[in-house]
Amino acid sequence: MTENAIELKNLTKKFGDFTAVDKLSLDIKENEIFGFLGPNGAGKSTTIRMLCTLSTPTSGSAKVAGYDLIKDSAKVREKIGLVAEKMIMYDKLTAAENLRFFGKLYAIPKQKLEDRIDELLELVNMQEWKHTQISKFSTGMKQRINVIRALLPEPEIIFMDEPTLGLDPQTTFSIRDITRDINKSDVTVILTTHAMIEAEALSDRIAIIDHGKIAALDTPQNLKNLIAESDTSVFGAKITNLTPKLIGKINSLDVVAAVAQQDDHNLKISANGTDALNQIIDVIRLEGGNIASITNSNDSTLEDVFLAVTGKTIRDQANEKAAPTHHRHGQAPKARIR
Amino acid sequence: MIPMDIIKTLKDSYHVMIKDMIELKRNRVELVTLAIMPLLFLVIFGFIYPSGNSHDNIQMGLVNLDQGAGSNEFIAQMETMNKQIESTTKNSSYMSFNNYSSVDAAKTAINQGKIHGAFVIPPGFSNNVTNGQPGNIIIYVDNSNPQVAASIEQVSSGTVSGLNGVLAENNVLKLGNAANQQINPQAVIAPYTPNIVTTIPGANNYLNFLAPGLMIMIGMMAVMIGIPEAFSKEKETGTFDGMLSAPINHLSVLLGKTMALSVRGLLQCIFVLAFAVLLFGVTIQGSLLLAFFMVILGIFSFIGIGIMAVSLAGDQSTGTMIMNLLMFPFMFLGGIFFPISQMPWIMQEISKLIPLTYAADAMRKIMLLNANVADVSTDIIILLAFGIITMAIALPLFSRSMKQ
Repeated sequence: MTENAIELKNLTKKFGDFTAVDKLSLDIKENEIFGFLGPNGAGKSTTIRMLCTLSTPTSGSAKVAGYDLIKDSAKVREKIGLVAEKMIMYDKLTAAENLRFFGKLYAIPKQKLEDRIDELLELVNMQEWKHTQISKFSTGMKQRINVIRALLPEPEIIFMDEPTLGLDPQTTFSIRDITRDINKSDVTVILTTHAMIEAEALSDRIAIIDHGKIAALDTPQNLKNLIAESDTSVFGAKITNLTPKLIGKINSLDVVAAVAQQDDHNLKISANGTDALNQIIDVIRLEGGNIASITNSNDSTLEDVFLAVTGKTIRDQANEKAAPTHHRHGQAPKARIR
Repeated sequence: MIPMDIIKTLKDSYHVMIKDMIELKRNRVELVTLAIMPLLFLVIFGFIYPSGNSHDNIQMGLVNLDQGAGSNEFIAQMETMNKQIESTTKNSSYMSFNNYSSVDAAKTAINQGKIHGAFVIPPGFSNNVTNGQPGNIIIYVDNSNPQVAASIEQVSSGTVSGLNGVLAENNVLKLGNAANQQINPQAVIAPYTPNIVTTIPGANNYLNFLAPGLMIMIGMMAVMIGIPEAFSKEKETGTFDGMLSAPINHLSVLLGKTMALSVRGLLQCIFVLAFAVLLFGVTIQGSLLLAFFMVILGIFSFIGIGIMAVSLAGDQSTGTMIMNLLMFPFMFLGGIFFPISQMPWIMQEISKLIPLTYAADAMRKIMLLNANVADVSTDIIILLAFGIITMAIALPLFSRSMKQ
């Protein structure tokens, strides 16, 4: 764990006037699982695309596996594997044909490639589906193929963009297990995810990215301690007669950083200052809210950190989209519109 | 190192091509479409074009306002003439006659679409003929349909001039007899006799004209529509990122896909040829080998345009739109369906800018006239130049678009 697998120096990507990635500087150590967290459009995927040589940086530089991203892009591509959010596979081809096609592009010798395909299919328990067309696979089966496809050339670094998005819990767990296995075989894993639990469970270190910049960077535990040590506190509030209007009132308090609705009755409120809890309770009572219970999250979760660091951004986005909050597995609940 | 790179690029192109071909092979709907499209083109374009055989049984009105001996004889001869023509061609007559009592009744019938024109024999026709005056006939033509109108004018004047010939022959014989001279009436009436010998044996067949051009056009469509489509599909499903994040030259993706599409285009050309020969009696005089070389050259000349479209268009619908914009002038001004020499001069000038014109021209010469490479060398040079120039513009655009 001495050398850096990836070094970013002022890496910047602009699309016209919009700066997707803003002077990002960052070192990712060899053999670590590094998590990128951030709201939609924060610049996670753009960063990954640049590091995979799929997109050219506007300015700045980066070294991937010791090679310069721009000058030695061909060398970089030999060292990396990509598990993209859009699965990289052809529906009309069988699992083996897909793997074989990509393996050939990596110029893996024929016999070695066949052995590798069998080995990887075994890793994800899919030997019996070797000669079945991808179109007959479930999403979970496809994602397992998508993951092992990236492992074909035995990469030093593997990029995983939202690897468990839309998967059932069983497959999600299995993908996480595979990710740990990959990491144990000396592969650096770069993970982007919305799933806080996943980032927390897998990552050695996490960077929370917002507006193309690093908003926070540390181990999951240190990030959580950060919240505990600051004057930011996170409360759970159960209100039996919860209304959108009431949520709006709470949100409009100056001390409140973010409000996330968990379900019909439960709110998660992150607030600043010692008087925050009093003010929040006053507002709820004033609006006729019936408080069933208040829980003080002493052991804050990564979700709390995420909301505390990026809370405002989410509100801005919610103002644009105003989508209703759906609580999907493991995903960050969106804050309500202020 | 450089030769190694080239070998790797070619190998990767080959892998991409094979992958694309397997995908095509597994797509039954696409395969069927692939075979049906050439057939459809042949049937549709082969039969909608007004060919020599199409003016059969044109419904004509007949209004005899004279009712004299002369007009009755004229009508009788015209009907015989119509049948005489009939016996020399297929089992159909050129015109069918319907009697009307007045010009107005005939005009009403034209307006109702029952007939396309009418012969009107004016009063006094018989008198004029017997007194050595010209016998005028009026032919009404419905020219709201230009194609039918042209046919009627052609057939009517042909029939009337045939009648004139018969009459003139009799008159010349009479005059000869009166002067006690042996005369060949034909030599007096029509001293010049054209004997038409065609380059292609057998009757004129529009499909003979159509098939070679269609082969080139279908090859062109395969790459021009195919390239933007193939790239957009991979971009939109995300598989493109898989190839581009692998250590391969981006050009090998382009090369591989183009090769797969060219094979596909070539396959369709074979379908066109097979259908044309087996189902439509098209005859081939020239070398098939040279013909297929021409198809490949034709396809090559369109690749650059396809790459430009895929590089400039962000998504599939834009790419398809750009291609449609180009395809229509190519199809209709490239001399596939209509001979360029029959177009107005400005269209002829535009058609000279279209590579399809040269490819179709060369193809026709090779297949129908047994032309050799030297005969079509100008076409070959123009196509090569067009292909190389467009590709020289397209490749940098492509490289740039790959690095968004």
